[in-house]
Amino acid sequence: MCSLLRGEEMCLAQLFLQSGSAYDCISELGELGLVEFRDLNPSVTTFQRKHVNEIKKCEEMERILGYLLREVKKADISLPERDVNPVAPLPKHIMSIMEQLQRLEVELGEVTRNKDKLQRNLLELTEYTHMLRITRTFVQRSVEREPLQAQYEEFPFLEKDTMLEYSSMQRLGAKLGFISGLIQRTKIQAFERMLWRVCKGYTILSYAEVEEYLEDPDTGEPSKRVVFLISYWGDQIGQKVKKICDCYHCHVYPYPSSNEERNDVVEGLRTRIQDLHTVLHRTEDYLKQVLMKASESVYTWVIQVKKMKAIYYILNLCSLDVTNKCLIAEVWCPVDDIPTLQRALEEGSRKSGSTVPSFNIVDAYGVGNYREVNPAPFTIITFPFLFAVMFGDLGHGAIMALFALWMVLYENNRKLKNTRNEIWNTFFEGRYIILMMGLFSIYTGLIYNDCFSKSLNIFGSGWSVKAMFTEGVWKIADIRGNRFLTLDPNVTGVFTGPYPLGIDPIWNLASNRLTFLNSYKMKMSVILGIIHMSFGVILSTYNHLHFKKKYNLYLVFLPELLFLLCLFGYLAFMIIYKWLVFTAKDSRLAPSILIHFINMFLMQGDGMQPLYPGQTGLQKFLVVIAVLSVPVLLLGKPVYLYWLHNGSNRIGMYRGYERVRRNSEEELYLMRAHDMEEGSDHSDLSTSGERPTEEFDFGDEFLHQAIHTIEYCLGCVSNTASYLRLWALSLAHAQLSEVLWAMVMRVGLRMDTTLGVLFLVPVFCLFAVLTVSILLVMEGLSAFLHALRLHWVEFQNKFYSGTGVKLCPFSFSLLPSSFEHDCLL
Amino acid sequence: MAELSFNKDHGYLEGLVRGMKAGILTDTDYHNLAQCDTLDDMKLHLQSTDYGKMLSSSEEDLTVSLVDSKLRENLVTEFSCLRSNALPPLSTFLDYITYSYMIDNVVMLITGALKQRDVAEVLPRCHPLGAFDPMAAVGIARTPTELYSAILVDTPLAQFFQEAVSDTNLDEMEAEILRSKLFKAYLESFHSFCKSLGGATRDTMCPVLEFEADRRAFIITVNSFGTDLSGADRSVLYPSCGKLYPEGLQLLARAEDHEQVKAVADCYPGYKIMFDDPEPESGCKTLEGRFFEQEVKLNTLAFLQQFHFGVFYSYIKLKEQESRNIVWIAECVTQRQKSKIHNYIPIFK
Repeated sequence: MCSLLRGEEMCLAQLFLQSGSAYDCISELGELGLVEFRDLNPSVTTFQRKHVNEIKKCEEMERILGYLLREVKKADISLPERDVNPVAPLPKHIMSIMEQLQRLEVELGEVTRNKDKLQRNLLELTEYTHMLRITRTFVQRSVEREPLQAQYEEFPFLEKDTMLEYSSMQRLGAKLGFISGLIQRTKIQAFERMLWRVCKGYTILSYAEVEEYLEDPDTGEPSKRVVFLISYWGDQIGQKVKKICDCYHCHVYPYPSSNEERNDVVEGLRTRIQDLHTVLHRTEDYLKQVLMKASESVYTWVIQVKKMKAIYYILNLCSLDVTNKCLIAEVWCPVDDIPTLQRALEEGSRKSGSTVPSFNIVDAYGVGNYREVNPAPFTIITFPFLFAVMFGDLGHGAIMALFALWMVLYENNRKLKNTRNEIWNTFFEGRYIILMMGLFSIYTGLIYNDCFSKSLNIFGSGWSVKAMFTEGVWKIADIRGNRFLTLDPNVTGVFTGPYPLGIDPIWNLASNRLTFLNSYKMKMSVILGIIHMSFGVILSTYNHLHFKKKYNLYLVFLPELLFLLCLFGYLAFMIIYKWLVFTAKDSRLAPSILIHFINMFLMQGDGMQPLYPGQTGLQKFLVVIAVLSVPVLLLGKPVYLYWLHNGSNRIGMYRGYERVRRNSEEELYLMRAHDMEEGSDHSDLSTSGERPTEEFDFGDEFLHQAIHTIEYCLGCVSNTASYLRLWALSLAHAQLSEVLWAMVMRVGLRMDTTLGVLFLVPVFCLFAVLTVSILLVMEGLSAFLHALRLHWVEFQNKFYSGTGVKLCPFSFSLLPSSFEHDCLL
Repeated sequence: MAELSFNKDHGYLEGLVRGMKAGILTDTDYHNLAQCDTLDDMKLHLQSTDYGKMLSSSEEDLTVSLVDSKLRENLVTEFSCLRSNALPPLSTFLDYITYSYMIDNVVMLITGALKQRDVAEVLPRCHPLGAFDPMAAVGIARTPTELYSAILVDTPLAQFFQEAVSDTNLDEMEAEILRSKLFKAYLESFHSFCKSLGGATRDTMCPVLEFEADRRAFIITVNSFGTDLSGADRSVLYPSCGKLYPEGLQLLARAEDHEQVKAVADCYPGYKIMFDDPEPESGCKTLEGRFFEQEVKLNTLAFLQQFHFGVFYSYIKLKEQESRNIVWIAECVTQRQKSKIHNYIPIFK
């Protein structure tokens, strides 16, 4: 229980590890995950540390592994993520793993390079065939055009002119040349323009699109290509055209001069493409084989390398002994686990999973100070309870509990655990608390007698309408004439006694149901709040006692508790008193608690009917005590500390003499503890040279205490008011679910033809969706938020400072385990 | 008023660039880098910065040129991320940044072609930020007119060509002159664009561009000593949007030697310090180095204001300077010149 209430006791241990076995020891500690290592050489930069070469080697391996994983993924081979937990490999085995990896890398690299080359080759050949096929249509088209030209023979001199030009060109030695190839479709426009500008029209460009998508060898994306054919005059222009083709990354292929040649080439290409296809298939098969083999052990390797790297990082944190023979490591470790630690260092292979209990809802606020009372064990119960007070609905609670139960039952399901959906993860992490919240909601739902805004009549209502007639208070005419009638509990037989559990279901029919429930819930939330806060104040005594500050008990805790109980505790008392004393018979005489409470502060109220004899006197007494406790709280602690500090010399002398007589060390230790309990001054201890003096500043101390006092006294008022949110949220929840029922479900239920049955199906769907989305998720989140606030602000500020540091032990299990989480992929 | 709706269009990118700016190496990073003994050590240290696994993902052995190209790749990735998300007028602004790299690339390709180098050999050395499609065809042109009308006319560089069109044959000297003319037109156009944007963009960008213009004027003057470029020829090349315009430029055109340039700089307090005799303990920094230092100073100022485009320009320039620093350190490390290793220019002190 002690370790549940407080954090573990910690100690700073120094480990001396023999350099030979340091690696194994750290590996063992990593499996254990108990200790947090301190950096003993913070001044040394990362690359000057001792094991930097090993880390580099690990990184090299990680790089190769990343490459392997990428290739495996590209080949669509599923990675076996088994639940194996291989231990970190021995340093001497690193080399063999490294070699294996390197061999794999080289092999893989060669195969993929070959494959790339083959694919490129194949692409070129396909492009070439496309080009040949399409350029033939160009030629055919020009052949078709020839008869057209014949029509213009009526203008012989035009024709002759071109002939002349052609022949003159031939005379000049200019040759008609062809360049043909493929180009990206997006570039053809710019290409054409450029050709025109540079060659000033001495070229003819014709082009057509390839229907199929061809894969780009660089990006691997399919893209459209265009086949073009440029005919040009002259060598110089040919040079330019070639350069332009180069700069637009055209793939240029030789243009066959005759049809026969073209057919030959096409024939040759076809056979070559077939050959390439077979070779490519073989290569791919081989590649797949290699990857399959690699994928079997890749997971183990990844984990091993990660562990190894982590070990070397830790070894880098250790410092060398003077003799260079052993390593010194400093670790933070829970005291209770020291035997485990020793065993681990001595023997090696023992595993233990001891963890300090922590609760995310508390840790999100702040990690507890060292050895401070941990609110987590109480919060586990109070949090779902306060949540349920706001979320009180049997049906909604049951749905929530079932959902959480499903998560709890399937918590080991890998699919649920490893999802990357953040919102889902939040819910999944909180599955146990959601389960608790659901169960508590079922309970409060029973108390409120609320199930999807309807009441359950389990035990039979305690009210009877029949009695009103048998006693003759109501006549038949009354029912006909009035819309509302009031049941009178004073008539015998009408009210037979309270409902055994929670609210009587008849209230669900009553028109003044809201007034009744409001009064009940408001008072209940005030009472719950006062209990919760008093509990917080009481918990602070554990801190005072544990930190050996007994004076805090009298000077802080007592006035705080008195202040709270005299004012608000008395309020709770009045509420309960009124519930118990006034019954239906004298309910008209019941006084207003609010008025009484205000009068209590004004010190009057003689003119009013007292609740009980001697009320005025008691109230005056309580107010005086509450007011008196404020100055005690404000001044007590600082003045006492001041007195201790100033009067230290005298007392110290006296105690010093005493100490001389007993000089056994254990007794000295006991004495010191005794001194501490009495709030002994620190300068006394420092005379023994073991503890430094703590500076005492009266101003500082006073200021802190003043702030604390103001915060506490005002906080009592505002925090009590703050607990009214329990009532408000619960009211909102009940009203929302009632509105949903009235606006959706009732519409469907009102239709009484056979069609109504069919109509009910979509209506119920709508009702279910709205219930889950609005009432469960949204309302649940808001109630969660308010419960959280009540704990963090109203409860924890009474005793919890939460400024501690969490122990983050060196543990292999904290390393990211799935492939997606690390940057290898 | 532009500030009101700035975040609607450009807020995301400004946030992004400010986040990336936080990744610029600090003094301690440089200090640690300067202590490295091998490139592997540098790689290890760079891993702990925003560069992350940039260098470790390659299988080849680490060389300075690999580091350089990786850094450049990194910069281009970041820039293209910004550019692809940009809306006008920021997109135009970002395009303007790339134009200077385009000009450099064109001139480099021309000189490459003049030296009969293969285009495939020169192309990888071009800055990828200034890459454009018909770039490789630049070598075809014989004269600037041809260059303009045939190749560059439908690239963004065409607008800077109005003054540069001439029919003289391109040689190395002419290529340099072409570069200067293009830069002049570019800077003036960029300057007027920033002015037209107004607001904080004008306030931050104009001083930077004015400084850039003046730097070009100084550098042209100093480099022209000993060549057959006359004063009148020079004055055509001076960008006219700097602080030196017009009197300082006239004086510079008349300058005959280094002393006279210094006399001109003395009139301008901002530039006086650049030409002051180096103090013995500050190490012998070149004129270029001092200009770079001044540029870094100016660019860091851009981050003091919000809702403007200057941060984008400054970030790219600062990142470029950072790459230069890293490459410098890497060079010193590989050549074992430990004494010169501290000549980098720290960016945020």
